[in-house]
Amino acid sequence: MSTLDPVTLQILKSHFEAAAESMAYTLLRTAHSAFVKETEDFTSGLTTPCGQTFASPKDLGATWFIGLDYAGAIEAIPDYRPGDICVTNDPYSGFVCTHAPDMHLWMPIFAGERLICFAVGHIHNTDMGGAVPASLSRALTEVHQEGIRIPPMKLVDAGVMNDEVLRIMLRNVRMPDQNWGDLKAQIASLKTGERKIMDAVARFGTETVCAAMHGVLDLADRQARRLFAAMADGDYVFTDYIDEDSPGGVPCRLKLCVQVRGDEAVFDFSGSDPQLQSALNMPTGGLPRHILPLVGYNYVVYSLDTTVALNAGLLRPVRCILPEGSVVNPVYPAATGMRSLTCTRIQGMVVGAFSQAMPDRLPAGPAGGGGILNVRTTDSRTGRLAMASINPITGGGGGSAREDGQDGSNSFLKNTPIEITEAEVPIKVLGYGLVPDSGGAGRHRGGLAAQMTFQLFSPNSVVTARNRDRVRFSCWGLEGGQPGATCGFLRNPGTAGEEALGNTDVVHCAPGDVLMISASGAGGWGDPYTRPLAEVLDDVAQGKVSEAGALAYGVVIEAGILDEEQTLALRARPGPALNGPAPGGLTLDPARLAFETVWSDAAWDHLSERLFALPVEWRFFMKHQVFAAVSADAAAASDPVAAIERAYASLLLSYPQVAPRTIGAAA
Amino acid sequence: MGYRVGVDIGGTFTDFCVFDEDSSALRTLKVLSRPDAPGAEVLQGLDEIERRFAISPRAISYFTHGSTVGVNSIIQGTGAKLCLFVTAGFRDVLELARLKIPDPYDLFSRRPPPLVPRDRVIELGERMNAAGEAELVPSDAAISEALRQAERAGAEGIVLAFLHSYTNPAHERLVKARIAELSPSLPVFCSADVWPIVREYERTITACIHGSVQPRVSHYIGRLEAALTARGVAPAPMITKSNGGVMTAAAGKDRSIEMLLSGTAAGVIGAGFVAQRSGFSRVMSLDIGGTSADVALLRDGMPDFRSGELVGRYPIYLPTVSVSSIGAGGGSVASVDTLGVLRVGPESAGSTPGPACYGRGGERATITDAFAALGVLGSGGLGYGAVNVDRERALAVLAPLAAGLSRDVAATAEAIVDLAVANMYREISRLFSQVGEEPSGYALLAFGGAGPMLGCLVAEAIGMEAVIIPETPGVLAALGGLLADLRSDFVRVVFLDMTAEAMGRLARAFEGLAAEARDWLHGSQGHSGEAALTISGDMRYRGQSYEIETPLEAAWIAAGDQAAITAAFHAKHAEIYGHADDKAAVQIVALRVVIAGRTPKPALPAREMTRTHVVASRKLTVTHRGADIAAGLFERRELPPGSHFDGPAVVIQDDSTTWVPPGFTGEVDAYANLILRRSGMERSSMT
Repeated sequence: MSTLDPVTLQILKSHFEAAAESMAYTLLRTAHSAFVKETEDFTSGLTTPCGQTFASPKDLGATWFIGLDYAGAIEAIPDYRPGDICVTNDPYSGFVCTHAPDMHLWMPIFAGERLICFAVGHIHNTDMGGAVPASLSRALTEVHQEGIRIPPMKLVDAGVMNDEVLRIMLRNVRMPDQNWGDLKAQIASLKTGERKIMDAVARFGTETVCAAMHGVLDLADRQARRLFAAMADGDYVFTDYIDEDSPGGVPCRLKLCVQVRGDEAVFDFSGSDPQLQSALNMPTGGLPRHILPLVGYNYVVYSLDTTVALNAGLLRPVRCILPEGSVVNPVYPAATGMRSLTCTRIQGMVVGAFSQAMPDRLPAGPAGGGGILNVRTTDSRTGRLAMASINPITGGGGGSAREDGQDGSNSFLKNTPIEITEAEVPIKVLGYGLVPDSGGAGRHRGGLAAQMTFQLFSPNSVVTARNRDRVRFSCWGLEGGQPGATCGFLRNPGTAGEEALGNTDVVHCAPGDVLMISASGAGGWGDPYTRPLAEVLDDVAQGKVSEAGALAYGVVIEAGILDEEQTLALRARPGPALNGPAPGGLTLDPARLAFETVWSDAAWDHLSERLFALPVEWRFFMKHQVFAAVSADAAAASDPVAAIERAYASLLLSYPQVAPRTIGAAA
Repeated sequence: MGYRVGVDIGGTFTDFCVFDEDSSALRTLKVLSRPDAPGAEVLQGLDEIERRFAISPRAISYFTHGSTVGVNSIIQGTGAKLCLFVTAGFRDVLELARLKIPDPYDLFSRRPPPLVPRDRVIELGERMNAAGEAELVPSDAAISEALRQAERAGAEGIVLAFLHSYTNPAHERLVKARIAELSPSLPVFCSADVWPIVREYERTITACIHGSVQPRVSHYIGRLEAALTARGVAPAPMITKSNGGVMTAAAGKDRSIEMLLSGTAAGVIGAGFVAQRSGFSRVMSLDIGGTSADVALLRDGMPDFRSGELVGRYPIYLPTVSVSSIGAGGGSVASVDTLGVLRVGPESAGSTPGPACYGRGGERATITDAFAALGVLGSGGLGYGAVNVDRERALAVLAPLAAGLSRDVAATAEAIVDLAVANMYREISRLFSQVGEEPSGYALLAFGGAGPMLGCLVAEAIGMEAVIIPETPGVLAALGGLLADLRSDFVRVVFLDMTAEAMGRLARAFEGLAAEARDWLHGSQGHSGEAALTISGDMRYRGQSYEIETPLEAAWIAAGDQAAITAAFHAKHAEIYGHADDKAAVQIVALRVVIAGRTPKPALPAREMTRTHVVASRKLTVTHRGADIAAGLFERRELPPGSHFDGPAVVIQDDSTTWVPPGFTGEVDAYANLILRRSGMERSSMT
């Protein structure tokens, strides 16, 4: 392979990006479903012959899959001919697809006889069949419930459509026209990629184009290594939880240790929970550079240097350890439909781990957990059934050394205008706005949560809120900044019948019911007592911080009047050590600290070791049994490890059919 | 007979185009803009026109004007201090906007701060439902209290933007009337009056931008009118609009938001005129200035229109000539990072200090410096002698980059140009994929200060065969203003399912809109000539959350021809997206009417052509593909219609330099436009 001069490389990089973006625009323009056209839940890109993604569109489509490795899918097909287009949506075939609604396609591009690269991409189908509409529910427990699975195969064989597989697929889904329409758009997108690459080949020659594919990957690799080299070697541990590991369940622990050594790093997820009897599992196959645990890594690298090339080369300096049979590497047939909740939490953890290495260069914890709202109700005037996605419930970004977090949202998600919702769905929105005091206090405040309140009018109305979390445990503050507020979900707030719905994701409503739902707030950065008084007063004037909330900043205001004397006295003291910052400059929320008085790091590590010594199918069950026993054990708080050991030993007696592997031999 | 004058104030220069109605001669001029004293440059230019061309202001028979005064007040945050009244429960309409952050990979990415900060957004107890029925009428007490709050906050204007006011503006009107009684001098803007579209954020931000700029723009136009009158300019100025049209000065004071993006729009109108006259039906205009390149597609001289264009960082949702802005211009700065990666832009040296070779304090290498180093620039003046090119300075600032890239300076300069072109290739590729067309069917019309320098290179990269360099590439916006028609847009949200019962309501909505449009043209604009009415519907399949503007016929609406209207939508959907669903239910969300009244046009007749092959008497040494080659040097004014020549060549004129690389031939057509073609390419679209 010839090495390319850096200028030609930059020029071809533009051509590759043009190809990937033209693919994305073609898909966006010709797709049928709202998932593609409005939510932009799709990707497009180009990979090397062995599946390394070297070009992706930057400002279109889902932002998670930069550097997704197509090798597993590509290798599943023995031979490629011009005009082939391959397909899979199976989370357990090659670990390219990560849940059944995602339909991945890849097409070989030939220059003459030579296969030079693949055009690739995916769309999120609205439905792939299975147990529930849209194929996604936290409550599902095995992949078979999540829709029909197409193993890697040729959808188009040398230009001829494989109608039989198409018929089987379309027969098994709830909205076949939409799937078929989107599939055609995907094919058009791949062909656009092929055309643009062939233009580049005609202009620059095959050798130069091929050399440039590897060149842009090498460039990203060097750019990422430059960041690690500037970082202190060390182990940066970060633990977080999903409130419930299954509907109404116990917390799911996720643990990460980023080990930075020179210009490389290992992401060790050992200590994360066993795979779950719910759909929150993240199928990675244990691949060391699977994208799902590394989404946050891409964000960190890009945020530190927005000039990096966004491609698989960025991932080369890192390697993940993903224990088999864990929530981050489940074995078949664990359900994976809602892996996005887990993936989102891990994104935040990766940022959190790196923020310990560079507390001045990364933000505090992001908001989240609000969920995506859908409603199904009837129009009482016309009798017409209305189903619609109402809004994502979002929260802000974390405060940072630079500035306050963005209020109200921190991602690519868009909302639906209230006027459109009310014109189309017979609900009345009573309010949509920011939640005062929801951002963690800090020198730079965390971004506020958004909240929506709405009323339903007809019987049998159902509201679903996918990806709800952060009701129990909030996100963290950094460098003395405070955690953000937790999520809220109330039925009929302020009435006698007020009901807290917590992390409930399916709510059946009666006529007249009012639902109020909010995301969590983001964490603050830095000691709130050092926030300039003028900024605190401005927040109060803006209604983003209440007079009561100003106390967290050491600022005393009553009925609009600043009490300068008390404020000065308060602010002269050290910052509000709610609980004393945890190691690494983190401030954790009180609920988490209370929970960890029993479920300490040592306790979890111990439990984890015990569970992973068990056969996969026993782990989740035994975890719940141990949790039940420990919560009934009055002595647990004084020595949680002993309590776990007691519970575990007694469970082994109750279930003699389980044979744990000898400790030490555990993988 | 007299002189028709078009003036466009841009960021760096103010451009003048003077058309002599007797001789059909076109004269042009540029003076430096005066953001510190807007309007002063207009008067300075008139003085200069009188001095240079002996044309008295008294001889001016028609005057059009575009200004950046409104845009600047948004970018600099110097607009009016507003309070925004919203429906109770929806105080954060501007804070939340549409949620999405601009760069989702960047943990530090931010939406722009709300145009009206939260402490000046006041909730009012009122509610209208989606059917336009009042559920809660704002009380006098509530209005008085909100007004008191606004006055305490020091409001210089109030914007009223209530939920569903697009379908029933009664509450906005009621509150406005009440404020007029209580505080008669306070300007009040109703969102339903500014632009009555459905979608609360879009309507609210549009109204707020209007409220923010209107006082200043109105004041500016008033002063300009007085100054022009004082100079003896008899006709009242016509103001150019973002929709590619013009309006009277009085309308400009009232509808200030409509002029915000008029500079780029007028440039596209000018480009469309030039291209069509030269016989090109499909054209991509490429306007490259100091900091950005603006790209638009034209078919038969008509641009696309779009809403949601940005004013600074804020979108406005009035129909605007669709222009894609690329962050690459003559002033884009080149740099080499520690890994030896060359970058061009997005940072720009702008007009101050400008490229290093301008010798006005610029210290960093720009695209313009690269062209100076290559020998393309430097033989002629730029900006009518306002700037001279210092090649030595260009070489000096390129030297460190050359060291970083381990190449010589000339190769570095070529690399900068190549990379800039590759970046434009990328952006233009996106644009064509968005509309689902291929660039090869288009000609490229290059203008702006740096367009002619880069036009052929971009055309080659994107696969276009012909490049048009207009006679006056530096002042096309000023020319576009002179050519623009009186034009205005009207919209009414109807939200109708396409059923037989809906046809009556649609017809009534159309009658209302058409009457409003005619009243604007013949009433407020005093136009007595004929009017062209264009009708369209914002239509969609039920359940889609975006609409497609579908051209409609008045006859269909009058006859209640539901089938024709629906068929037009299916056809448009298929045209844009490649598919349609004849079985799906169709909705019409809004009805639009555009009225245009033809303004008198300068007659720019075809000139006599004598085909003559010309050879340059002077030669320049230009570095191209690593070699020094001899390029012919032509003065544009010395190239009469019909003359043709072969590249490599450099064509210089007052306000721009055209680079004709080897492999291109040039020809001046009957309208004095320079047509450059890649050799061996068919003369396909010439008439």
